[in-house]
Amino acid sequence: MTRSLAFMSFRYAAILLAIAIVLVPVLWMASMAFKPIEEWQATGADLTWIPRAPTLDNFRYIFGRSTSDLIVTLDKTALKPILASFLSAGIGTILAMTAGTSAAYGLSRFGSGANLPLALVQLRLFPPMAVMTPVMIMWAFLSFTDSWWGLALVYGIVTLPFAFWLMKTFFDDMPKEIEEAALVEGCSRGRVFLKITLPMMRAPLASAALFVFILNWSDYLIALLLTTKQWVTIPVYMASLSSSMTGQLYGAKAALGLIAAVPPVVLGVLIQRHLVRGLTFGALKQ
Amino acid sequence: MAEIAFRNVTKRYKDTLAVDDASFTVAENEFFCFFGPPLSGKSTILRLILGLEKPDAGEILIDGRVVNDTSPAARNIAMVFQNLALFPHMSAADNVRFPLKERHEPPARIEARLKDAAEKLHIGHILHKLPGQLSGGERQRVAIARALVRDPAAYLMDDPISALDARLREETRVELKRIQREAGRTLIYVTHDQEEAMSVADRMAILERGAIRQVGRPVDIYDNPATTYVARFLGSPVMNILATRRMGSDYEAAGRALRVAAEDAVAGAVELGLRPEDLHVAPWEGGGEPATVTEVEPLGGYTVVTLKAGDQPLRAMLRGQPEMRVGAQVALSCDPAKVIYFGAGGAALPRVRGARQ
Repeated sequence: MTRSLAFMSFRYAAILLAIAIVLVPVLWMASMAFKPIEEWQATGADLTWIPRAPTLDNFRYIFGRSTSDLIVTLDKTALKPILASFLSAGIGTILAMTAGTSAAYGLSRFGSGANLPLALVQLRLFPPMAVMTPVMIMWAFLSFTDSWWGLALVYGIVTLPFAFWLMKTFFDDMPKEIEEAALVEGCSRGRVFLKITLPMMRAPLASAALFVFILNWSDYLIALLLTTKQWVTIPVYMASLSSSMTGQLYGAKAALGLIAAVPPVVLGVLIQRHLVRGLTFGALKQ
Repeated sequence: MAEIAFRNVTKRYKDTLAVDDASFTVAENEFFCFFGPPLSGKSTILRLILGLEKPDAGEILIDGRVVNDTSPAARNIAMVFQNLALFPHMSAADNVRFPLKERHEPPARIEARLKDAAEKLHIGHILHKLPGQLSGGERQRVAIARALVRDPAAYLMDDPISALDARLREETRVELKRIQREAGRTLIYVTHDQEEAMSVADRMAILERGAIRQVGRPVDIYDNPATTYVARFLGSPVMNILATRRMGSDYEAAGRALRVAAEDAVAGAVELGLRPEDLHVAPWEGGGEPATVTEVEPLGGYTVVTLKAGDQPLRAMLRGQPEMRVGAQVALSCDPAKVIYFGAGGAALPRVRGARQ
């Protein structure tokens, strides 16, 4: 069926618009990250897409090497927040994936009743703000606040439902006969999980972990409430990048934003090969 | 080499009765076939033998030992699953090695057995490939090799060749029969294809809604079905089962087109069962009542003719390609000794003396 020219033009226009809405701010951020202060403070006709005098000053500035033309110095470099983000998001992801995968496997294979999975969904239906203040009080009581492990623990709990539901879908989709074949051929239940199920689940595990990691990595609210000084994460630190003299330090923010975008993109590219491959490709008859 | 037996085994899933008080014994080195429509409990019986399901009542015996609480691994039974269930992340060779590795066989022996199984099933050239790179027929061979590679007490196969095309299926079932004979092992086979069941099985069991209706040699069941269900289920075209009543000295069926003298029949028959090949068709020359030809299917070696007599459809299977026109009037007859007589409730009545054995 051939479609009319008008329809096709509309279609491509719509696609271009969608791409532009997504890409323009990202590209603008990338451009701003390399602009000196005069350029990112410019307005009107002075705005350019390509920096006229590209510089790494913004990066130097957030790592404390140079104050460039800004009179203020930062009381803290971006190094510690980057470390904090990696530790809390990374460990949080490991916690959520370990607990979520175990729970999903157990419930998918031996679970009875639908109440527990539903209860885990309700965790997400609850507004996070409603629980975060009590959690903050609890964490303060336990002296968990302003630490990467306290944050990682909350991240692990908050993203557990996602890890659980993603993995449960994958486990439910896996034909039970593959595990049964291993049981019949002499494996114990534990060995079946280690030798058959986990290796088959490499791709699903990788994609679920990436999803959970991105959730943790981009969190602002929880980190804002639970960290104050020592272990603020990238988003919290970014918000603090302003000065009384120059207002918002957009160049520095853009530089930090660019750095923050790197890990999810790199991880995504690394596991993309796994994402396209089917789960049980070749295990069954056709 | 094992004898496998069920003693009054019952298995329920929630509200459905999957296996209903089943008792049977599969002898050593027997090729035994479970045959039934979908959801008749065939696969559940295999799962019970394997130990993947526990019976709700009754006992499962392997070589006379009750194994109700024995783990699947300890039962030492090999299985080819209906969907094959290969391990997708392992090469074909590793799939076949797996059962031996899990049993900690010495590497030299594993390689020897692998080579042996690969030769038997002609998969030597594809051993390095992942299941995803194999065709349906190759996957099925790998799955069978994985079951054959060790020395189990018995092999179980759940409709393993249903995905193959008709020609390959015929070849494979002959090969399976040969492999079973050479291995000298008990083989329990599940199928919903009656031709397959009849061609490979030493003995077979016919299932209906989880209950075993008849056990015996395929030809014996074919010749002497115990109930109308079994009679209809086994055989193609389907057996003619005709309501009958006694009129004077004859039993009449299909209107009045088919008659059996009362002294040749079994007293109290409510239905007559007649295989299509046992229904004789001749040109009508007056006398009695005719049947009308409604459909003619020439199939080469034989011709299937659908007839109508007294509102009753019948099928006859005639040798060769006889002259037969749709709409023609024909006379029906049969050898009373070839008729199966069913009483009320659908159970076959004992035969009269002189009936075929």
